[in-house]
Amino acid sequence: MSNNKLTVVDREGKSRDLEWEPDQTLMEALRDNDLPVLASCGGTASCATCHVFLADEVFDTLGERSEDEIELLVEAEGYRECGSRLSCQLDFTKDLDGVTVTLAPEE
Amino acid sequence: MPDLQPGINNGQPVIIVGAGHSGVAVAAGLRTRGWVGGILLLDGEKETPYERPPLSKELLKSGAPDESTVLRKEKFYQDKRIERLAGITAEAIDRQSRTVVLSDGSRRGYDRLVVATGSRARPLTVPGSGLPGVHALRTREDALDLKRALVAGTRVAIIGAGYIGLEVAAAAAARGCKVTVLELQDRVMSRVTSEPVSRFFEQLHEQNGIRFVFGAAVTAIEGQRRAERVVTADGTVHPADVVLAGIGVLPNQEVATEAGLECRDGILVDGEGRTSDSAIYATGDVTRFASPVDGTSQRLECIQNAQAQADRVAAHITGQQPAEPEIPWFWTVQHGVRLQTAGVRHPDDDVIVRGTPAVGKFAVIYLRDGRLAAVDTVAGLADFRPAKKLIAAGALIDPALAADPRIPLTDTIPNDPSLTDADLVSARI
Ligand SMILES: Cc1cc2nc3c(=O)[nH]c(=O)nc-3n(C[C@H](O)[C@H](O)[C@H](O)COP(=O)(O)OP(=O)(O)OC[C@H]3O[C@@H](n4cnc5c(N)ncnc54)[C@H](O)[C@@H]3O)c2cc1C
Ligand code: FES
Repeated sequence: MSNNKLTVVDREGKSRDLEWEPDQTLMEALRDNDLPVLASCGGTASCATCHVFLADEVFDTLGERSEDEIELLVEAEGYRECGSRLSCQLDFTKDLDGVTVTLAPEE
Repeated sequence: MPDLQPGINNGQPVIIVGAGHSGVAVAAGLRTRGWVGGILLLDGEKETPYERPPLSKELLKSGAPDESTVLRKEKFYQDKRIERLAGITAEAIDRQSRTVVLSDGSRRGYDRLVVATGSRARPLTVPGSGLPGVHALRTREDALDLKRALVAGTRVAIIGAGYIGLEVAAAAAARGCKVTVLELQDRVMSRVTSEPVSRFFEQLHEQNGIRFVFGAAVTAIEGQRRAERVVTADGTVHPADVVLAGIGVLPNQEVATEAGLECRDGILVDGEGRTSDSAIYATGDVTRFASPVDGTSQRLECIQNAQAQADRVAAHITGQQPAEPEIPWFWTVQHGVRLQTAGVRHPDDDVIVRGTPAVGKFAVIYLRDGRLAAVDTVAGLADFRPAKKLIAAGALIDPALAADPRIPLTDTIPNDPSLTDADLVSARI
């Protein structure tokens, strides 16, 4: 499967394009491309340092968030009921080719 | 030796000893922070560096693949020009010439050295500890050995009811083993949590068929060719085919001690990860440092600390601002129930239970001088992040309000007009 293209808007508001490889979660794609995503729990939905925003229409196409994910996100800086996701919980799918991901503010 | 200036590299690489969570995070952090000089990662293990938490959780599940969860893909090290020497250890550090002697006999010079050698399972020392069938759990190899031994019907004795022992107990029970946990104290996880949380997890394990023996001082492991039984001080004999010791860890500090770096059950470091030699840093499980919250000397064995210290070291080496200090936190999963802790609890903290343990989801907060010091959340994370912030802020908490789980933790700061803002919070970090 070919890579996805992603546009990432960092915390300074700068955008950057990068490649998302099929065996990466979205968090891994961000982290391995040197974006400041701490991912301090290694992707186990425990820390919320991988919090990102997605556009409504993209968010709506994704599956339900787990209870842990919701509880962590609700308390996160800048939480959006529609739009906030833990990027470690998003596996590669072709549906997410070309999307824009915005890094949520740091705590 | 040339003077070391932050962010300046004198031609020699940064050498990182140990490719666990912390060592890999230093290497990655240096690149993220724009370090262009060489990075040499000495990896005492052979395979691509991997995550340890799954070793006692997912990996032990029946039917789970034996593959490890790697920290970073192999390609990452190439892409980031991180020279990783697999299966090579640092044997000695020569601080005079700033060189490291490697296990293959070669020497490599450094500008800065980072000791990230982690910790090892504290070995059992009672007679019979070396018998086949006696296990410890630290590496993937350990985990795979253990997994092969945990066959349905096997009698498993776990020595030590810390989080590793309990995670393995849960995994073994799920695989159909008959599990007995032998613990010296009178409750599980007594070092890290309070009685209500201990009792909750004891019940959970008992419901899953696990038997506990408290006050159990193991005196010997006996057997003809392999472990057959565990004997405790009162003379009780516990038949066992498999024994797992989960009795804590020891810091891998020898290479530092021998080089004359200050160590005291851990390599002593300051808030930036610096050791007593300005060219040498240490991070992760191997370090001991003063808590930024209250100055207590501590060694923390958790991923959060391994990562946070690594980032501070990477920041210091590159001459950049580190991220804000973070309240330490930790998690464990047993029978699918997650306990997540923030802050470091002291045994004499006031304990307030939020919610009803009997319903399977609750939190416990710990107050020191009336201020939030730590939290344990069980099967829910709603209080986790608010608690982290309130702990960092040193917030006063009204115990009566906090006992009501319907009131968000952030609304439990006392509603007393005679208290000023300065009384209500006194930033801890
Ligand atoms: C089974 C298990 C489950 C865990 N679960 C959790 C959890 O759920 N949550 C959590 O927060 N923490 C957990 N931990 C703790 C966590 O894994 C550690 O805190 C973390 O691994 C520490 O990282 P580190 O880099 O300091 O050390 P390590 O990960 O131990 O890495 C150190 C590395 O250095 C190598 N080394 C040692 N000496 C030398 C030398 N002289 N030369 C070269 N290499 C050397 C070692 O072989 C090792 O590979 C768990 C640990 C274990 C063992
Ligand atoms: S990496 Fe920790 S929640 Fe995603």
